Amino acid sequence: MSALLEVSGLTTRFSTRAGVLNAVEDVSFTVDAGEIVGLVGESGSGKSVTGFSILGLIDPPGRIVSGSVKLDGRELVGLDHGALRSMRGREIAMVFQDPSATLNPVLTIGAQMQLAIAAHEKLSEQAAVARCVEVLNTVGIPDAAARIRAYPHQFSGGMRQRVAIAIALLNRPKLIICDEPTTALDVSIQAQILTEMKSLAARLGTAMIWISHDLATVSSVASRILVMYAGRLIESGPIADVLRTPRHPYTLGLLNSLPGIAEPGQDLVQIRGAMPSLIALPPGCAFQPRCGFARAECATRPELTVSGARGLRCHFPLAEAAE
Amino acid sequence: MSAMLVDVVSVSKRFTPSVSVGERIAAWLGSPVETRTVHAVDDVSFHIRKGEVLGLVGESGCGKSTLGRVIAGIHPPSAGRATIDGLPVMGEGRKPLKTTTRIQMVFQDPFASLDPRIRIGETIGEGPLAHGLVGKADVHAYVAQWLAAVGLPAEAADRFPHQFSGGQRQRVAIARALAMQPDVLVCDEPVASLDVSIQAQIINLFLKLRRELDVTMLFISHDLGVVRHISDRVAIMYLGRIVELGPTAEIYDRPRHPYTRALLDSVPKLVTGSDELVTFKPIQGELPSPLSPPPGCHFHLRCPSAQARCRTDAPRLDAAAHSVSCHFPLAAGE
Repeated sequence: MSALLEVSGLTTRFSTRAGVLNAVEDVSFTVDAGEIVGLVGESGSGKSVTGFSILGLIDPPGRIVSGSVKLDGRELVGLDHGALRSMRGREIAMVFQDPSATLNPVLTIGAQMQLAIAAHEKLSEQAAVARCVEVLNTVGIPDAAARIRAYPHQFSGGMRQRVAIAIALLNRPKLIICDEPTTALDVSIQAQILTEMKSLAARLGTAMIWISHDLATVSSVASRILVMYAGRLIESGPIADVLRTPRHPYTLGLLNSLPGIAEPGQDLVQIRGAMPSLIALPPGCAFQPRCGFARAECATRPELTVSGARGLRCHFPLAEAAE
Repeated sequence: MSAMLVDVVSVSKRFTPSVSVGERIAAWLGSPVETRTVHAVDDVSFHIRKGEVLGLVGESGCGKSTLGRVIAGIHPPSAGRATIDGLPVMGEGRKPLKTTTRIQMVFQDPFASLDPRIRIGETIGEGPLAHGLVGKADVHAYVAQWLAAVGLPAEAADRFPHQFSGGQRQRVAIARALAMQPDVLVCDEPVASLDVSIQAQIINLFLKLRRELDVTMLFISHDLGVVRHISDRVAIMYLGRIVELGPTAEIYDRPRHPYTRALLDSVPKLVTGSDELVTFKPIQGELPSPLSPPPGCHFHLRCPSAQARCRTDAPRLDAAAHSVSCHFPLAAGE
């Protein structure tokens, strides 16, 4: 089976007054139908820009410099404005971090949901309302038939995020890109949404790219993980394998940084330093200045090597038993 | 662990929004005035011993930050009192007492808590100078000493906040608090806005400061993992009240309040076995509004083991070392 989404060599840059910012560089991965893929990295790693690039949501001074994004074999990079508009929402939808910023505060949720349907399909008002109620039920909003007349401010944060997810589901897209959808929520509400999203993906066969900085959250929804650092994909593979035997020193460092690995009260194994500026990346491996295993060869850039289900961008990968 | 340092006795904090002009006119015309009072903190009592780190955990809106600010002497309590060494942290009205300098605060967002137009050295040195902790001649060395304590070079004193990354700014904010030589540090979500790798660096800094300076801390966070790592004892807060308080290992391994249990079950765990099935047992429903908290136990609307008594009768925190505020606490191992 060929993949639903095929990203290869994606490179997105922003021209700023200070110089060219390499937000995403040579990123390649695939997503199968119905699969949930976690895209993990710290702030500035390029994970959100990757999501925006897939949807063609990069505005000047940003530009997709090279690479290709194929959905069901159709190239999306270079499509004109109208073609992109008709693709967004219908084939690939997006859920953002902050639902109070993505919903229109002066429209009832029913009205903005009907707009989202009308953008792609001619439906009678009755049929549109029925569809809205149906998806609101799907995401677990009680009393949906009455709630579509409510305004966003009448919902709590968790319920608002459910509405945002419902809007993403409206046109039955094949892929939903979720950009930190639970980061702004409390843990108890996050647990509700995570449970809901997993069962949605299984029931509807919708594929998802789950962008997050939180390894634990990703590990509880995704089956595969992509780790990004400074705009580059540095490790990928089945989630349990990668977390059990990380082969890139950065992935290992990220895992060791989590409280809960070390004994309470003991020092955490920290990664020294901070992420380099994307305008002035060090030559070679971007992680090299912070890496405890770096050697002279690291001054040349490592290529992404694939063995079996796992991908890696490192000259000196950690041995299987290097935990 | 020695004497009691901070003592919080029946502290409540209520916020009443001021009545708008329209409402005043409506009241004047005879319509009933609806008073909307937010019960942010509701009859909370606990203490912190010298050298101890007390973790305060709760979801957004539970009143944990308000409680931290009452203890730091920023908000006067509506009822009850907070004392340090027996002296109130705040005088009558809004007049600060000398004791307030013995408690310092570290805030969540180091982008908002540092003055962007003042050099780091001045930010750190201003308080100690004003309170006579250091003379004008020695202030440079004094600032350098505290910068070194948080792992920053002495040259940092001449720079502005924008020249630092988020993690470094948080170090500056910690240095500013420590330079006042406080007895107690109130940290309100000090690592929440930082990336995982930077968060680990700051947690290690707190652990080092604890070991070297014996700082007493109230560590406020929503992150159960971080709190477990750093605290001696943990208090769990729900809708203005402390529902459970005890030694860290006890709370995490043998929670007795249904809310604590549910909160711990909600935290996503790192899955490293491919056949492990991740299931959450999410808490049903949502946090009720603090404008009209439910009668009885605040948690009864969402509690799986609620009974008739929970709806009318507010439980109180018992006096045990591992205390719980629940009529029907969970047995060990449940």
